[in-house]
Amino acid sequence: MRVGIEVGGTFTDLVAIGRDGIIVTKVPSVPSAPDEGAFDALIASGIPLAAIEELAHGSTVATNAVLERKGARIAFVTTKGFRDILALQRHGRDRIYDLEYRKPVPVVERSASFEVTERVVADGSVVTPLDEAAIERELLPGLAAGGFEAVAVCLLNGYVNPAHERRVRELIASRLPDLHVTLSSDVTREFREYERASTTTLSAYVQPVIDRYLARFSERLGASGFTGHFSVMQSNGGRLPADGMRGSAINALLSGPAAGVMGAVRQAGRSGFRNIVTLDIGGTSTDVCVVTDGRPQLTQDFSLDGLPIRVPLLDINTVGAGGGSIVWIDEGGMLRVGPKSAGANPGPACYGRGGTEPTLTDAHVIRQTVRPEAFLGGRMTIDAAASRRVFEPIARALSMSLEEAADSAVQLANANIVRAIQLISTERGHDPRDYVLVPYGGAGPLHAADVAAELGISTIVVPPSAGIISAYGLIASDFMLFESMTRRAPADDDAATHLTTVFDEMQARASERAAHLGLTGTLQMELTAGMRFVGQAFEVPVTFAADEIARLSSAHIRERFAEAHHRVYFFGGEAEKPIEFVSFRLGVTLPLAELPLLAIDATQKSKPKPIEVFDKRSWRSGVLVARGGLGAKRLPGPALIEDPTSTLLVPGGWTARRDGNHNTILERQK
Amino acid sequence: MRTRDVKSDAVKARAQDGKPARRSTKAPKGAARRLDPVDYAVISQALIAIAREMGTKLVRSSYSNIVREAQDASAALFDATGKVVAQAELIPMHLGSMSEIFRACLAAHPPETLQPGDFYINSDPYGGGQHLQDVFIFQPIFHAGRIVAFAGTVAHHLDLGGGNPGLSPDAVDVHAEGIIFPPSVYSYARDWNGGPLERLVAANVRVPAQTIGDFYAQFAANAIGIARVAQLCDKYGVDTVTAAMTELMAYSERRFRAALAEIPDGTYYGEDAVDDDGLSDTPLVVKAAVTKSGDTISVDFAGTCAQVRRNLNCPFASTVSAALSAIKSALTSPDIPFNEGFKLPISVTAPRGSLLNPNYPAPVRARLLPAYRCFNAVLKALSEVVPDKVIAGGNDATHSLALSHLGDNGRYRVYLEIYGGGFGGGPRYDGCDAVDSPLSNCTNTPVEACDMDFDHFRIVEYGLVPDSCGHGRRRGGLGLVRRFEILKDGTNFATYQDRVRLHPYGLFGGTDGERTRTEVIRDGRVIRVKGKDRLDLLKGDVLVLTTAGGGGYGPPAIAEGYLSEAVARRFYGKRKRAAR
Repeated sequence: MRVGIEVGGTFTDLVAIGRDGIIVTKVPSVPSAPDEGAFDALIASGIPLAAIEELAHGSTVATNAVLERKGARIAFVTTKGFRDILALQRHGRDRIYDLEYRKPVPVVERSASFEVTERVVADGSVVTPLDEAAIERELLPGLAAGGFEAVAVCLLNGYVNPAHERRVRELIASRLPDLHVTLSSDVTREFREYERASTTTLSAYVQPVIDRYLARFSERLGASGFTGHFSVMQSNGGRLPADGMRGSAINALLSGPAAGVMGAVRQAGRSGFRNIVTLDIGGTSTDVCVVTDGRPQLTQDFSLDGLPIRVPLLDINTVGAGGGSIVWIDEGGMLRVGPKSAGANPGPACYGRGGTEPTLTDAHVIRQTVRPEAFLGGRMTIDAAASRRVFEPIARALSMSLEEAADSAVQLANANIVRAIQLISTERGHDPRDYVLVPYGGAGPLHAADVAAELGISTIVVPPSAGIISAYGLIASDFMLFESMTRRAPADDDAATHLTTVFDEMQARASERAAHLGLTGTLQMELTAGMRFVGQAFEVPVTFAADEIARLSSAHIRERFAEAHHRVYFFGGEAEKPIEFVSFRLGVTLPLAELPLLAIDATQKSKPKPIEVFDKRSWRSGVLVARGGLGAKRLPGPALIEDPTSTLLVPGGWTARRDGNHNTILERQK
Repeated sequence: MRTRDVKSDAVKARAQDGKPARRSTKAPKGAARRLDPVDYAVISQALIAIAREMGTKLVRSSYSNIVREAQDASAALFDATGKVVAQAELIPMHLGSMSEIFRACLAAHPPETLQPGDFYINSDPYGGGQHLQDVFIFQPIFHAGRIVAFAGTVAHHLDLGGGNPGLSPDAVDVHAEGIIFPPSVYSYARDWNGGPLERLVAANVRVPAQTIGDFYAQFAANAIGIARVAQLCDKYGVDTVTAAMTELMAYSERRFRAALAEIPDGTYYGEDAVDDDGLSDTPLVVKAAVTKSGDTISVDFAGTCAQVRRNLNCPFASTVSAALSAIKSALTSPDIPFNEGFKLPISVTAPRGSLLNPNYPAPVRARLLPAYRCFNAVLKALSEVVPDKVIAGGNDATHSLALSHLGDNGRYRVYLEIYGGGFGGGPRYDGCDAVDSPLSNCTNTPVEACDMDFDHFRIVEYGLVPDSCGHGRRRGGLGLVRRFEILKDGTNFATYQDRVRLHPYGLFGGTDGERTRTEVIRDGRVIRVKGKDRLDLLKGDVLVLTTAGGGGYGPPAIAEGYLSEAVARRFYGKRKRAAR
C-alpha cells in the first residue's frame, strides 16, 4: 500500500492507495507538532504500518521555521569586508512610499557573521589566498564559543571556484565535527552574492529542524513496525528519500503547494491533458501554477518572507483569496476581498465560531452556492443567517441587494485569481487559451468556471476527491533532484560543443548523487541553459532534452534562445547580436514505475434535487447532484455537484460529465 | 517673481464644491452606475498590472548596470489626454511628473498627427523634463484607428555624452551634461531600428552598446503595454476601458481628499539645505510653506535660494515630483494607487530663477540633491501638524559615484552607481539601515556583477557603519561603507554627494546622524574628497565612501529623565555601543 500524508495549516490529509482500494482521511492538524497530526491520520485511517510499502510525507515544518523564525541558531561566514551582505541586501525597497520601511529580517544575527581573509575573482582565479592561520586563530574559536548548530559559508565568487569554501568546511570539521556546514557552492551555483548568501543561510537555518523532525518521524515509524520506503516532498515538485534531505533542506521549503500541483498534473494526465493551469483555493489563499506538456513551470526567482531563494522550485503564484478572505469596502468606496483572512479560527461568520466579518464563504452561503446541509460532507453546521447579517453593511455601501453584493464579492475574488494566473501565463509568454484548468482544494471547483471563462479557457478537469489532491500528489510524484552551475561562455559557433561539455560534466555529477541516494533505475535528464544577449543581466531559460543535445547545431541553439526571448520580452531575433550562456540547471527525474490511481466513490449517490443559486446578477434554477451520481452524459448547468471534500459549481453555459478516468469534465458551450 | 502652478484647476474645483470631502465611504453614484464594480475592479487591476509588467521587463531586458542592476527606470500608462493612469512603482522621483513631461510632447506635436509606430521622446530639463540622463519615451496605443491610451517608459541612461564619462561635476551649463532630446516625435521603423536617430545617438555616447540596448528595452516595454491594453480593449470595449481609467483616477483622488480632510487646516513651514554648490561653502537653503485647506494642499517654495552655477539646480518637474512624493509618503495609505487623480488636490509653486525652478541653461545633473531638500522641507513642515506620520532627516541623498576608464582598445568602461544610507528614525520604528533614500529606489550592483564586468577597480568592502546613526526614542538607520581598490592608472572618478557638511537632522529631541565622507588613500596618505568632485586615480589607490546615518526621532530614554546618566551607562552602555 502507498500512503501520502500532507500536513496543512488546518487539516492533515491522508490518501492510501492499494490493491484493496482507496482510503481518504482528514483529521485536524496539530500545529505545534505536525508529526502528531500525521500519526493521528494514520491511526484514524486504520492502516497497519506494516502494510505500508511506501510512505510519502509533506509538511510545512521548514516553511514555518522560517516564517516564525524558529530555525537553528546559525553562523554565517563570508569573505573579509562583506560580513554585512545579509543586512545590506539589495539596497532597494519594495514599498516605495513607506517612510518607516523595514527590510526583511535575515535568519542570522549580525553578531554571528564572521569573515575569512581570501578573494577569488570572476574567472575563478585566486587574488588573495585563504588565510588558514587566521581561521584557526579567530573563526574556529568564535564558532566554538557561539553555541551554533549550523554554519552557512558563502564566499565571493564561490559559485565559480568553490575551493576556498570547501577548505573552510574541512577546517571547521577538523575542529568542530558536530557543526553542520552548508556551502553556497553546494546549494546554488548562481552569481549575485546576496541572493546566494540568503539561500545558503536559509538552507542552514532549516537543516537541523528538518533533520530532527525527520529523525523523530522515522524513529516512530520504525517503532510502529513500518519497514517500507519513507520519502518527502520538495518544492521542485519531486520527492527525495527522507535521508536525502540531509544536506538539501532548502528544497523542503514551500513543498506543500508543490504536492498539490503534482497531484493535479498526474490526475489530469490520466485523461490526456498535458497543458494545465492548476487552481488550488484553500481557506486563506489561492495557489496557481502553469504546467506545459506535463511539466510544471519552474522558477529560480522566489522569496520567502522577503528573503530570496535561488533554487529551482515550482513557479507557484499565491494570492490572498480564499474561503476565509474578508470582504470589505475601502475609504475610496471600492469593494475589496482579502488579503486579510478570518483564517480557520474564528473563520467565516457562518461557522458560528464568533466570526463577525463577512468572508468569501459567507458570500457563497448567500448565493446558495455553498449548501448549509452538505458543507464538507455535512461535518460542519452552517449558520446562513449569520452570513446575511455580516453582509448587510457591504450591500448598503454598494446600494445593492445582499445577493448582488455577495455575488460581486465572488466575482471580484475571481478577478484577483485571474490576475494571479495571468502573471505566470500571459506574462511568461503562455496563452491560457491553450490550457485546461484543474481546480482543487476546498473551494477551487466552486470558482473554476468563472475563472476559466475570464481566461478564455473552455475545458475544466476536476479530479476526484479534489479537496485532498495534495496528499495524492505526494505518492503520485517522481523522485527528482537538480544540479546547477554558472559557466559563462559565448553562444557562438562553438555553442554546441560547450553545451555538450557542460552536459557531460553535470550528468556525471548528478548520476553520482542519485546513486548515493539510492535512486536506481533509468534516470531522465533535461538541461536548462540560462542564456542572454551579451550585456544583459537576466537570463532566459532555454530547455534541451538529453537526447537532443548531441544533435543540436550552434545555429539551432541561437534560434531556440531568440524564440524564448521574444516570447517574454517582445524583442530579440536580431541575428548580429552576440549571445552567451551564463548558467545551467540539470533536472534529473526517476519516474514512478506505476502511478497510483484515484477513483470516484460511486456509492455516493443521491437523487438530483432542484435548487436556486444566485450567479452573475440573478437567481437561476438548477440541480444539485452528488459526485458519484454524475455519469458520462452531459449535465447542463446551472448545477452544483457535491463530494465530501469540495463543491463543484457548473454555471449556465457549461456542461459536466464524468470521464473514464474518474475526472469530471466541464465544457463551455460555444 | 513668477510662479508656475502645476494644477491650479484643482483648487478651483474645490472652491466650487465648497465642502471638504467626507463623503468618502461610497463611490459617487454617477460613476458606479456607469461602470459595473466588478468590471471596474478587473480592468483597473489589469491596468496596474500592465504598468508593472512593463517596468519589470524593462529592467530585466536592459544592458547597463544602472538599469538592469540598479533598476533606475520606471513605466506608466496614460489616458489619451496624457494623464497618468497607472505606474510601475519603481522610482518615486520619475513618477511624480511623468504627465508634465508627456504633455510637453503633446504640445509640440498634437496626438492627431501620430501614426501607429510613432514615438514621442523627451529628456529636456527645460522642456518639462528632469535631468537629461532620464529619457522618457511615449508611444500611442491605437484601437480601431484611434488613440485610446499611451504607454511610457523612462530609463536613466548611463552615459549620454557630455564633458566627462558618466557624470560631469564641472559642467557650466546643461549642454556640457550631454545630448538633449527636446520634446519631439519620431517613427520607430524609420528613425530608430538602425535608422538615423539611433545612429546619431550611438555616435554621441561613450558606451553605445549599453545605451542603445537600454533604449531597445524601453521600446520593448512599451510594446508590451501597447499589446496588453489593446487586448483589454478587445475584450471589454474601448468605452468600458476608458471609463475604468477615469474611475481609477477618481478613486485615488477621492481617497486622498478624504485623508486630507482629516488634517487640521493651516500653513506650516519647513526648511533644509544642500551643503553647498561645489564652488563656495554657502548652504543652498530650501524653504517650503505647506498650506492645508479643506481637502486640498499646496506647497510654495518661496524664499528658496537662487539658482547656482554648478549642477545642483532642480528643474521644476523634479521639484514637483519631490513635493508629491513627500505628501504621498506622509499623508496617504500605501495602497492608494499613484495616478493623475492623486495630483489634483495638490499644487506646487517655486519662484522662477530659484534653485527649484532654474532658468536655461543652468546645469541640473545633480538635481536629486536639492529635490531631497524639498522632500525634507515638506516633511518638516508636516511634522508640525502630523508628528506621527513623518520621520527624522536621513541620508536623504543619492550619492552618485562614477568610475570610468578608457581602455587601450579605445573602448570606455563606465561604472555608475548611486548610494543611499540610513533613513531617519520614525514614530514607530528605528530608521532603515543602509538603503536607497526615499525619492529614489535603486538596488545595488552586486559585487560579483562588478567583478564580472569591470577590470579597472575591485570592491573590497561593503558594510554597515556602526554608530553612524542619530539617537532617540527610535534611532536613525545606519549609513553604509564601500571601499574600492583601483586596479588601473587613469581611472576617472567623478562624484556628487550631500550631507557631507550638514548633518541629517534629528526630530523632536532625537540627535543628528553622522555625515557622509569620502577619501582616497594613496601611498598611505589620505586625500579628502569634496562633496562635488572629480579626480584621476592611480593603480593601488583605495577609494572609501561612507554615507550618512539617519537622525533620531524623539528624545532618547535617558534624556526623558527616567534614568541617571551613570545608571544608563552601567546598564545600557554596552548595548548602545554595540552595532546591533
